[in-house]
Amino acid sequence: MLTLSGVTAGYGGGNVLQGVDLHCAERTVTCIVGPNGAGKSTVLKVISGLLRCRAGSVEMAGTRTDALAPEAILRLGITQVPQSQALFPGMSVRENVLLGGYLIRRDRKLLARRYDEVRARIPVVAERAHEHAGNLSGGQRRMVEVARCLMLDPKVLLLDEPSLGLDPKSLAAVADLIQSLNAAGTTVLLVEQNVRLGLGLATHGVVMEGGKVRLTGTAAQVRDHPEMATLYLGGPPPAATRTAPAT
Amino acid sequence: MAQLVQALALGVLIGGIYALMASGLTLIFGVLRVINIAQGAFLILVATFTWWLWRVIGIDPIVAAVITTPLMFGVGWLLYRFVISRIRGQAPSMSVLLTFGLALVIEGVLNVVAGNKFRSATPAYFEESFRVGRVLLPKAQVYGFLAAIVVLGVLYLILTRTWTGRAIRATSQNPSAAALVGVGATGTAALAFALGSASAGVGGSILSVLYPFFPASHYDWISRLLGIVVLGGMGSLPGALTGALILGLAETLTATYASLQWATLVFYLVIMAVLLVRPQGLFGARLREDAA
Repeated sequence: MLTLSGVTAGYGGGNVLQGVDLHCAERTVTCIVGPNGAGKSTVLKVISGLLRCRAGSVEMAGTRTDALAPEAILRLGITQVPQSQALFPGMSVRENVLLGGYLIRRDRKLLARRYDEVRARIPVVAERAHEHAGNLSGGQRRMVEVARCLMLDPKVLLLDEPSLGLDPKSLAAVADLIQSLNAAGTTVLLVEQNVRLGLGLATHGVVMEGGKVRLTGTAAQVRDHPEMATLYLGGPPPAATRTAPAT
Repeated sequence: MAQLVQALALGVLIGGIYALMASGLTLIFGVLRVINIAQGAFLILVATFTWWLWRVIGIDPIVAAVITTPLMFGVGWLLYRFVISRIRGQAPSMSVLLTFGLALVIEGVLNVVAGNKFRSATPAYFEESFRVGRVLLPKAQVYGFLAAIVVLGVLYLILTRTWTGRAIRATSQNPSAAALVGVGATGTAALAFALGSASAGVGGSILSVLYPFFPASHYDWISRLLGIVVLGGMGSLPGALTGALILGLAETLTATYASLQWATLVFYLVIMAVLLVRPQGLFGARLREDAA
């Protein structure tokens, strides 16, 4: 469904990503884990078109997307919930969610139908519709951010650290939402510092370090791989990318 | 008592007009992070053109806003696409240099084309007033105020009721999130600059009747407008409205109870006092340098 091949990208003079290969199959939940500075969030920025890759390619269902504008990538069905402060704080919750449908704004019936669907799926949208988004709690903001993405009925949902700053109750609600979206057919690619949570939600796992992919496999394979301890607790990195052997 | 009411009424009338003029500056800063030093020069350019329309063709200066507003919308759009967009993403200080240069170009062209002399449009109602009880309201200021209120109302409706307005507000509040929902940064920025310039279209036409002007008057005007938006909070429309009303009232109350010469000083004293307590202005958001 979504494939990155040899992606190199960065800011200014340096390359944060150094030849990243990644594949997300349809209807899977793939979780990228790795230490700070590994380039996890940069992968999502490259996929959503916020950052151009300097080498390599990104394909979505056979279509090259690495030269497309963010708007064109959205139209292909890829939406992203960024790491933090993704809402428009001076606007109401309703306006925030409706802006998620900016690309379908001319089809008023479709826009209204999607809004009703999103409101039914995520209660906070209905309950706090007229409140300023800036007044919401961390968990509520996360829900509204996801709700905004759902306005385009995405094929692929990119989530950058969905657990960041959430209390356990909000965390459980966000996790339930991710799983229900995936069960309804959405492919999910998430980046997570909380390895246990991320790989617990995911069907597949990817470990990144120093701008490169170090391990790939099913979530269970990656979680149980002996090199996970090395990568998180220090020690020399493995020489090349490898697929975790089946356990 | 009548004197106080008279001063307050005049202050509100002038404040409404200042609000219109400052709204463009704060809108442009809010969306583009561009400090448009040329906004004052836009006002004088339009005032000069309006004066010409009134003197040569006989069009009422305030009605001339119907021509100057769309014209300045177009000028603003073109300026953004071909000039301002080149410094997109640069520090706001770069925009100060660029737009100051633009202001100097406009001033120079006006000096050559229109000459370095004071002008003022003086239509028939220029010296007439409405009488409300014991309060006299100059017709020119009332008409200017009404035009300003209509334009501010239209601007408010555009910003709150249209997708274009939502896109502009979204870009102003969170540019990266706006890009993530498909709001095109360049198109939105061009529209915001065009709308900000269009406000100088109406503002300049009103200015031509209310204040004598000459090409270098833009220094005085940009100082006032910057004062208003700094007081209100850079990028905040409600802040610009409040700042403008404070300036209008400070001017008229000082002129009534002290002397007109002290009016500007009083306004800047108010700015200094407010900024000591609220460095971000009345409605501005405080940014942490390390989190920005």
